[in-house]
Amino acid sequence: MTAATDFPSTKATHLTAGAKAALITVFVGALCLAFEGSAPWLVKWPAAWELPATEWVGTFLDWFLNSIKPAMRLFSDLMTYPMDAANYVLGNTPWPILIGLVTALGWYLGGLPMAALGFIGLSFVLASGYWAESMNTLALVAVSVPVALIVGGAIGILANEVPRVKSLVQAVLDVMQTVPTFAYLTPLLLLFGFGPVVGLIASAIYAAPPMARNVMLGLERVESDIKEAAIMSGGTRFQQLFQVEIPAAATQIMVGVNQCLMAALSMVIIAAVIGGFNDIGWEVLLTMRKAQFGEAMMAGLVIVVFAVVIDRMSGTLATERKRYDPRVVWAVLGITALFTAVVWSGLPDPSEITLLNPVAGAMDSGLTAFTQANGPWLDALKNNSMFYVLLPLRIGLDQAVLPFTWGFQWTPGMSYGLFAAGIAITALMAWRGHLTGGLVVLILIGMLETGIANLPWPFVLIGAAALGWVAGGWRLAALSVGLLCTILFSGLWERALLSLYLSGAAVFSCAVAGGLIGLASAVWAPVWKVVRPICDMLQTIPLFVFLIPVLMVFQIGEFSAFLAICAYAIVPMIRYTRHGLVNTPDEMMEAAISSGATEWQIMRDVRAPYAAPTILLGLNQTILYAFAMLVIAALIGTTGLGQSIYLALGQADVGLGISAGAAMAILALIADRMVQGFAEERRKALGL
Amino acid sequence: MTDSKTPAIACQNLWQVFGPGADKALTDALSRSGNDADKAADDLREKGFIPAVQDANFEVKDGELFVIMGLSGSGKSTLIRCISQLLPGTGGEIRVDGENVVGASKKVMTDLRRKKLGMVFQHFGLFPHMTVSENVAYPLRVQGVSRKERLARAQEVISLVGLEGRENSFPRQLSGGQRQRVGIARSLAVNPDIWFLDEPFSALDPLIRRQLQDEFLRIQATLKKSIVFITHDIQEALKLADRIAIMRDGKIVQIGTPSDIVLRPVDDYVREFSKDVAKGQHAKVASVMRDDSERGPDDPGLTTAMTLDAALAHCMELYEPVPVRDAAGNIVGTVHPSDLAAALQVDEA
Repeated sequence: MTAATDFPSTKATHLTAGAKAALITVFVGALCLAFEGSAPWLVKWPAAWELPATEWVGTFLDWFLNSIKPAMRLFSDLMTYPMDAANYVLGNTPWPILIGLVTALGWYLGGLPMAALGFIGLSFVLASGYWAESMNTLALVAVSVPVALIVGGAIGILANEVPRVKSLVQAVLDVMQTVPTFAYLTPLLLLFGFGPVVGLIASAIYAAPPMARNVMLGLERVESDIKEAAIMSGGTRFQQLFQVEIPAAATQIMVGVNQCLMAALSMVIIAAVIGGFNDIGWEVLLTMRKAQFGEAMMAGLVIVVFAVVIDRMSGTLATERKRYDPRVVWAVLGITALFTAVVWSGLPDPSEITLLNPVAGAMDSGLTAFTQANGPWLDALKNNSMFYVLLPLRIGLDQAVLPFTWGFQWTPGMSYGLFAAGIAITALMAWRGHLTGGLVVLILIGMLETGIANLPWPFVLIGAAALGWVAGGWRLAALSVGLLCTILFSGLWERALLSLYLSGAAVFSCAVAGGLIGLASAVWAPVWKVVRPICDMLQTIPLFVFLIPVLMVFQIGEFSAFLAICAYAIVPMIRYTRHGLVNTPDEMMEAAISSGATEWQIMRDVRAPYAAPTILLGLNQTILYAFAMLVIAALIGTTGLGQSIYLALGQADVGLGISAGAAMAILALIADRMVQGFAEERRKALGL
Repeated sequence: MTDSKTPAIACQNLWQVFGPGADKALTDALSRSGNDADKAADDLREKGFIPAVQDANFEVKDGELFVIMGLSGSGKSTLIRCISQLLPGTGGEIRVDGENVVGASKKVMTDLRRKKLGMVFQHFGLFPHMTVSENVAYPLRVQGVSRKERLARAQEVISLVGLEGRENSFPRQLSGGQRQRVGIARSLAVNPDIWFLDEPFSALDPLIRRQLQDEFLRIQATLKKSIVFITHDIQEALKLADRIAIMRDGKIVQIGTPSDIVLRPVDDYVREFSKDVAKGQHAKVASVMRDDSERGPDDPGLTTAMTLDAALAHCMELYEPVPVRDAAGNIVGTVHPSDLAAALQVDEA
């Protein structure tokens, strides 16, 4: 026998890990389908098996929160002083002075471009008529950011100094990153009651982790030679840390400051949902509820302007800075003071400035005209996407295909036909040597027939275990199953599947669209020139603002939520795909070119495989972004865990809020670990 | 003060083992093997530990330039970090000026570093946020020396390394060679007795490297520090060293003068190193000199400190033994021209 004929037979007996896992999953899925009729408990987790975990969590937390309430109330009382002070200062400083200060700061940080950005940005805010609301928002940020910086910095330093604390801190930060923002709010509400302090504390809690993370990272990355030089200079640990390591890590720490600022702003605006404070986020919410979309858009733009100004200015801290002439700073401040002194009495109250009201009005009417003129088309887009894509994904072809929408009724016969076709494709692919791929196709067809929300729980568990095993071995498989079981027992399973469906659909769309855009950006530089500022903008905008445009055009509903999620979550996919593809080492490219490969061959055989780990990391980020947005999107109509978290907030139901938040965190965590596992494997395979 | 009989540094049975619970593992391995270092090291490796330094024994005399040479991964950087206590040694004894530093308290070590030790790093280890003067003055700053005083001292050492005029530059504005001059200046700021240099010139271009080596020798000629110098470059080791220790896989395989290493390598590993070395440029006449007084009539004027190459050039036409003189001009021995030639031929066979 020749080696060539030996090959298939050894391959058949030694299945790859992926093929084994897929086979088991297919087997379990088939079993579930077969016994669907006789054993309904296989498909739907019986309510009798559920534990009242949500109530337990609620009772425990109620007890716990109530016991620390006095201390927390004291803290919140203390926090009102700096808050009132910030409010008073920002609210009563004449606006020309503030604009002048920001312009001068812009010059100091980044020269003319930053000064112009600050001046134009704040002028826009002034003209929009939302000056007072903006100052309230800014006051919250101004108090929460220092708290977050100090707490985050202290945690980062502590983790650096005490190795045993480090892994714990890392784990807590990981979890905090995946727990949805609204979930923080419910317990805080219970602790602090309604009011601005909740927003303040929520934003400090939300903004501290990026600071801690960057401090840790920065200190870790200080070259060992520099650390050792500090030791050999005879510095005490305190001297080493504060005189050498922290200053040497300044750039990374400034990245943390930037992220901290952005997170605080984002959270302050989200916290408007619980109200009690006349800030700009509240304004957006109010106008949105009244369907005054022009005004909502305007208020949203004010938020965007703030985000851009804060982000770009603080971003200059993290780059190597030039020194700009300080005389300009004094000149700007001098002119401002002079201007204010001379004309202040004649200046209008900022809230009476309505320069942009006509614009808002025009936007409103223009939008109405647009939706009216394009109504049929937009409706068709929305309905078609719902009926032919989202709904089948959610409840399966067997339930989604109805005479009313598809023009015919789904019959069991069609299911058999579909499965038969699936098996045929699998067999064909297996024959061509792609057994794993074939099995995955079969699994996907089965999921489409059943619908994600109706997937039998044993299938989901086994599927997750199989994926986990392939991605990261037994430990990841066990972790996935264990965590999923907690959701199963807690009675949040159906809602979790609904969340999984919507985020899954969004992630899939983002992966395809973002991947293609990333590819195009990598191949044609002009595309990237257009895409890049859009990506920058999308990443700067606070989550909340994404809801306004989709709501304006598509009203409340799952499709709007889907679009909002996609708009936010697509960015990392684009960025990482491009980055991975562009950063192929020159030597590899030169080797491929000198081997005579065409552009397309280089892309397929060299650049794409090399970029695979990076692209997987992008996918990972996209998943996390999608989960983050899912909860925010609950404001405009999603079902599932996001909705539960939002409802819990309204009813101050800590148990539900925290349980649903934990469930979302679990889903995000599992997805994160699996994708990371695959990325790690690819990296290892490439020897990176 | 240092007594000339007390070595500046003395290492005895020094071990550095990496891995969880290395201390106990080392004690166990040594007792199992009956204190046989090689067996213990193999034993440790089998158990998944990394014996980066095994059973190092050597002394650095006062004012001596001691070079530790080896390939990357041979443990030389770990060894110097043990001596400077950047790593706590796993076993053995390190005496700095007669004082055991293994297990010394933080305070003792900080004191020692402030007064007696200076160190230069391969990648310079300059503080990016400080100017050249601030970098150089930092070891004085941590001791609380006043700003005026420490900047004045910094100025002195900056002149010593030839960096006048760059005092207010930041490290990023300097070339690699200039950066290492700053590193050298900083390590000398407190005027230490013992000077550690961890591959100080390895990250530099060959030309700059040679320039700095020469300056280093010039500085050492005036300062007379006791030096531990790490390198992976045999040429550098031979050029600078009073004595060389060659390391391999955590073990010191040979300690000797440059001539010893070149002419009398203990094994193939050391021989491999000296293969590319033009021996005539490093070995001195003294290494082939004999005591007998039977000489021919010619006196080509050989001295003990002459390199073999130079000596051979003087004896091209001679076949009879010739006299050798010391620095003072007294005849101290005899060299056979055939021995000169033979010494240079050792490896050619």
